[in-house]
Order: sequence, then structure tokens, then C-alpha cells
Amino acid sequence: MKKLVSVSVFLVLAAACGSEEPTYTTPASGGPPDRGGTVVVGIVSDVQSWNPYLVEDLESEHVLSLLYPSLAVEQTDYHRHPPSFAPSLATSWTWSEDHRVLTLELNPDARWSDGAPITSRDVVFTWRAQTSPEVGWLYGYVKDFIETVEAVDDHTVRATFSHVYPYQLMDLNDGPIIPAHAWSEIPFDAWGDTDWKAHALSGGPFSLSDHTPQQEIVLTRNPSYFRAPLPHLGRVVFRISPSADGLLTQLLAGEIDFLQSVPPDRLDRVASRDDLEMVIYDNRSYTHICWKTDSGPMADPAVRNALTTAIDRQKIIDVVYAGFGRIAVGPVLSPFWAFNRELRPLPFDPGAARAALEAAGWTDSDGDGFVDRNGQTLSIEILAPAENELRQDIALLVEGDLEQVGVRVEPRFVEWGTLMAILDAGEADAVVNMWEEPTQIDLEGLWHSPAPGEPTFNFGRYANPEVDELLREVAELTNFAEQKPLLDRIQALIVADQPYTFLVENTRITVHSALIDGAEINAATPFFNIDEWTVDDAAGR
Amino acid sequence: MVRTVVRRLLLLIPMVWLVATLAFVVVAAAPGTYADTVDHPGLSAEQRAELEARYGLDQPVHRQYLRWLGSLATGDLGVSFVTKEPVLRLLARTLPPTILLGGAALLLDFVVGILLAVAAARRPHGWFDRVSSFIGLGLAGLPSFWLAGLAILVFALVLGWFPASHMRSVAASGLSGPARLADLLHHLILPACCLGLVGAAGTARYLRATLLDVHGERYILAARARGLSDRRILWIHTLRPALLPVITLLGLSLPFLVSGSVVIETVFAWPGVGLTLLSAAHARDIPVVMAVTVLGAVAVLLGSLVADVLAAVVDPRTREESL
Repeated sequence: MKKLVSVSVFLVLAAACGSEEPTYTTPASGGPPDRGGTVVVGIVSDVQSWNPYLVEDLESEHVLSLLYPSLAVEQTDYHRHPPSFAPSLATSWTWSEDHRVLTLELNPDARWSDGAPITSRDVVFTWRAQTSPEVGWLYGYVKDFIETVEAVDDHTVRATFSHVYPYQLMDLNDGPIIPAHAWSEIPFDAWGDTDWKAHALSGGPFSLSDHTPQQEIVLTRNPSYFRAPLPHLGRVVFRISPSADGLLTQLLAGEIDFLQSVPPDRLDRVASRDDLEMVIYDNRSYTHICWKTDSGPMADPAVRNALTTAIDRQKIIDVVYAGFGRIAVGPVLSPFWAFNRELRPLPFDPGAARAALEAAGWTDSDGDGFVDRNGQTLSIEILAPAENELRQDIALLVEGDLEQVGVRVEPRFVEWGTLMAILDAGEADAVVNMWEEPTQIDLEGLWHSPAPGEPTFNFGRYANPEVDELLREVAELTNFAEQKPLLDRIQALIVADQPYTFLVENTRITVHSALIDGAEINAATPFFNIDEWTVDDAAGR
Repeated sequence: MVRTVVRRLLLLIPMVWLVATLAFVVVAAAPGTYADTVDHPGLSAEQRAELEARYGLDQPVHRQYLRWLGSLATGDLGVSFVTKEPVLRLLARTLPPTILLGGAALLLDFVVGILLAVAAARRPHGWFDRVSSFIGLGLAGLPSFWLAGLAILVFALVLGWFPASHMRSVAASGLSGPARLADLLHHLILPACCLGLVGAAGTARYLRATLLDVHGERYILAARARGLSDRRILWIHTLRPALLPVITLLGLSLPFLVSGSVVIETVFAWPGVGLTLLSAAHARDIPVVMAVTVLGAVAVLLGSLVADVLAAVVDPRTREESL
């Protein structure tokens, strides 16, 4: 691949308070872009199916989003309010007076790649598939509050909701539109046994041209795509390689042009290359330590607060994340509209931590360097996944910090499946974990007190009756502005309780060839504006 | 001999059942399920439980075992949780690349190994023997992932002679037949060398020792006394009997042709059985893990049988004891 003489590394960090749009654009070169060229994208796993309602992972969804159109496109303005939507297949929409009925107008020029028009029949068929028990779409629960989706005419669709709530359009828009004329002949109960590659059609910017399982997916520009102008790129090729290090090597060797995520500890391999560009942005996730709150020493919020105060979170960012990221505050990410802007991270203050432990009854009575109470040393086993070096490094740094205040820490690195079994049983003292947050604010799953015997992600078994009550009240409100004070209060309670030590709001580092211009990349999808990408196809692919 | 072979083949059935059952117990005892490995921010605890129910992972282990055994008996290996395709089709897709890579590596292993051993045995403790022993021991002692990483660094990144991964170039389906073949061979060289040369080092050491043993036999002395040339003594009278253990080694290496190398296939993103097994194990894709395990067991048992048959064919003295 040709080396560019001078292309600067392009770094963008989101502002700490989220006052700027968390979408970033690489600088576009001057002059009209050429049509054509190939971009090779590295991915770690193959698509699970060419039917979007049979896939369960995010990577498959990203690839399929280039084939199957959405009614609307979620925007990245979630820092001011729940995300808004831009028209896509639906060119406009109107709400009924009681805000329960949504009427959408579809683009009359939209066509599938076989020439058939994309109509309201496709939208209705999609909703039936999404809610069909035979199909069993894993995320079908998002349609629970949609009573009906009807075709008013060929290009008008009407959706009726059971009640008013802030995420109605988001829920309706969730899941791409699929071709009724081609797929309705296959009964829903036979979808699981169908080879969908043979039935793949496109209504999106690219069409499926070739797929070699576990090796390569070749998409070519869809000439019947309804949005003008057509994509500049002629082809997007996905090269599949299960090893993240392997993908990075391929990027350095010029075999791939675009890698969505490079671990910060590997950045030194990229930084010296002037033919590669880095884009660094919020990836809507936070790393934390989840404490066991239902029994043992960490059942006391004062102890948990002391532990957080004793952990140098900025050092974690500097050492583990090469300086990328910011200290996390609470259960809502700071760029989100719902974030309580009154809250601040607890300070790093080992002296105060030691004093707080002493106030809670934990002192070094036997002079062994570790605090104890009633003859029992304050000793914590911190778990981290054996497959994740970053989280292991965090556990080791935390061990050093906590031992400074007299807390004995035993890091243990366990295989992912084993770790999940321990977490499910609620038996972990502490675990270094990460949550990726959807833009729909839902604190119920992590913070409501767990029901006995029910599956839960509340691994630390946190329970606060006031939080439970506030969560119930939030669910009943129809307006996000009304929800905001209650969400603020919930966050304040959780931050005061410190069931987690909120460590780092993470960033993602995408690296791509400097030959690619105009790529807008955000946490929701690496292909947000792929129709506008251009490439100087010097490799002649 | 035919009756003996048939008897050994029939013995495969209980052996495969035993191995499959042990493998099922190990897989079932491993904590975590496919649902734990699904990466999606929208997945709630309830959806995770639903996913387990969909794939029958919420059933008691004995019921899962009986269902799987029943399917195995009818030749149905189930459907992959991850790729949603029948496991038989998945194996049919991943076996050819593994056989190609394994075959190329075995060829390199034995051809290079035999040549090195013969060259070293001609002048025991000479300079070539010492240098080849040193390099051979070094190669045999290197972990394959390290050797593969080094090979990629030198030959793909620095020199740019070979591709760093995959079985073909980007969108190679547009190439002509000969160009596609050349492209495939270009991608094959580095992984095959990483696998084959390590094996060749071991084969060379093994064969060299056998050659030197044979070299001390009285019939070799007699041949020398009859005035036969050194070359003839080495290639005809020494190498042929010395190859017997190598043939056994070859038979025992045959399972490798279908089980693949997990490390090399993963490092080079080679779409074979080994890579599939690793991905399936990470994703707790039980049908695929079980199918590959059973396939490996069958291959080991068949390989052992083939080794015995070959040994019996080459050396009639071993017929009774090996079969």
C-alpha cells in the first residue's frame, strides 16, 4: 500500500461534560471524490446469518445494517435528550394528538436489489417477524409496547402503541426492514433451517456479492439504493480473523484498511505509522469494580466508599489505558442527557480512606500491615477475566492501592465461563467488569434489587428500597423531562452507596488507512456514514 | 489380516462412544454457556436465560447427553449455536483447508526431515550434523505461536514476501484459475513452513538416531566388505530399514490432517478445523466442540490402525505383535 508523505494522526476526545456531538469526522480531502475503490475491514467473527432476525451479536448487526434499511437513523445527540432520528426509509412521520399513534411516510423510490419496491407491506411483515414466537428474535421484547403496525397504503404505515413513553420511535425503529415479497413464502417456523445466503437481498447501500465463511464477505455498491447520491465506494470487503492481534498485524501489513477497535496497550505499534489514522471517541461503556454488597465487609457502604477513595483511578487511565478515558462517576455515562451533572467522582485520598475504614471499625490491631475487625483481616478476592489483560492490569493496580490503606487483596484471573458462573451465583467478593450502555436509559436491570431465583446482572446483589421505588416511578412517566429529576436522585443514591467503584468511562480507538476519507465513526456503528466514505485505491484492490 | 482389521474397525465403535461421552462430560462440566459469550449491549439477564432455553442449555445434563447421543447415532451432529449452520456442513467446509495445510506440512516434515537426517548421518558429528542438530533442537523447542509470530514479522511485515493471514487475497474469486492457485500457494507457504519445519526437526533427529543404529549392524559391515559404495549402502541398505519407525510416525501423524493445528490456524486465520474448534470453544458452541472432538478421536484411532497396517506391510516380523 502506498505510504502517504504527511498525514497527521487525528485524535479526538469527547469533552468531559459531553457538550459536543460525540461523532467525529476525519478531515476530507479537497476536490470531488472518485466513485469506486475498495475498503477492507477487519472483523473478529463471521456473520451468524444473513437474516437479521436470527443473529445475536453486534458484529453481525453492523454488517447486515449495510444491506437492510432502517426506517430512521438514530442520531448521536443523546447528550441533550434521548437520541433523535433522521429520516431514512421513512421520509417523514407524524404523531396523533394523544401520542399513541405514529404515521410514517415511506420513500416511494425505494427498491430492493431485485427491483421490487420497498413498501409498507415490508414494514408490516418485519414487525410480524420481530414479534413472532416461531422466529424468536432475541430482542423482540423492544416491541412489547407496540400494539399494531398496519399498512395504510403502499407507502404509508401506521403504528399504535399501548401507552406513551419516551422511547416509542426508538423501539419501532429497532431492527431493519426485510423483504416481504421474497421472504414471506418461507414459514416463520422454517426460518431456522433456511440457508439465508441464497435469499439475501439488499435495500441498503451495499449488496452481498460473495461470502466465504470464516474468511471473507464481499459487498458491492447497490445501484438501486434509494438514497442519493449512491455510495462512493465500489466494494466493502470484510476479512474475518478471530485474533485481535492478528487483525492488527494485518492492518500493519496493509492487508486490511479499517479496524474498529485497537487496544490502547497496542497503540505504540500504530502511532509511528504515517499511513494510518487513529480516531478516538467515547464508546459508551464504563469499567468498574462490582463489590459484593449483600454480605461480608463490603455490605457496609462506608467500607465501599473508603475502597473507592483509596483507588487511584487516574493512574489506571494513565497506565492501563495509555491516558485515554476519563474517571467514571456513576451508573449513567457523563455524556448522556440523563447524567446527574451535580455528581463528581469521589476523590483519590488514601488518608481519608484509612480514616473512613477506622471509623467503620477496621484498624490494624495486630500490626501486620492489614486492617482487621474482631480478629478478621479485611481481605478481598478481586476477579478478572483470564482473557482480558486490561482488566487484569486494573486488578493488580487496585491491589497495590488498597494494600496502601491496609486492605489485603488477592487478584484471581479466571476463564470467562467460570467467571460468569461465579457472578451468577453472587459469590464474587469483587470483579473488574465493563458494561456497554445502550442510548435507551434503563437502570432497572443493574440496580433494582434482584428477585430470588430470577436471572440478574446485579452481580453484587445491590438492594436499596428507595432506588427500587424511584425506578418504578420512572417507568410510569411518559416524558423524559419528568424522568430526569428521578434519574438524578437514583444516581445520587447509587453514588452514595458505591455498590460499584466506577473506574473509567472508556474510549474506543479506531484505526484506519489514511487513504480513507470522510469516515464518521461513532459508538453506535463504525459505518454511520459509509455512503460518504471515499478511498484513494492505491492498492488497486 | 483382513479379519484383524475388521475387528479393529468394529472396536472403534465403543472407543468412539467412550471418548465422546468423556468429551461430553468435560464440556458439560465446564462453567458458562453460549449465552454468556454473546456480546450485545441490549442483552438483559432475561434474554440470556431465554437464549439458554432456546438451545436446550437449561435442560438437565443427562437429558442433553441422551439427546446428543441419539442425534450422533443417526449421523446428525446438530446445528452450530454461532453460525446457525448444520455442523456436518461446517465440517465439510473446514476439513479441506485443514487437510491442505496439514498435508503440505506433513510433506515438508518428512521430506525435509529425511534429507536432513541422511545428510547428518553421512558424517556423524561432522559440521553439518552439529549445525543441523543445533538448529533442529532450537526449532523443536520453539512454541509454534512464537515461531508463527516471528515468521509473520519477518516475512510478511518486514520483507513483505508472504501474506500475514488468510487462505486467499482480498476478493480472489475474481482471479483466473491458475492465478487463484498461485494465490493459494502463496498463502500456504508460511503456515505450512511453520508447522512442517518444526516437525521436520523432530523427524530428522529421530531418523538420524535410527540411521546410526542401523549403520552399526553387521550386514552393513558385510555390504561394505563386499565393496558397495557408501552412497548405495546409505540410500539402499541403511535408509530402508531405518524408515520403518518413520512410517509408524507417519501413521500416527495422520489424525493431524483432520484435527488441524489450533495455534497455526488461529494465528494465520486459516479457515480450518483447528480455528473452528477454538472459536467454538470460546463461544461454548457445544455441537461444534463435540463434533470436532469425535472427529479427532476417530482420526486418532484410524491413524493408529493405519500405522499398524503399514508397519505390518513393510516388515512381516511385526505382523503378529502390531495387529
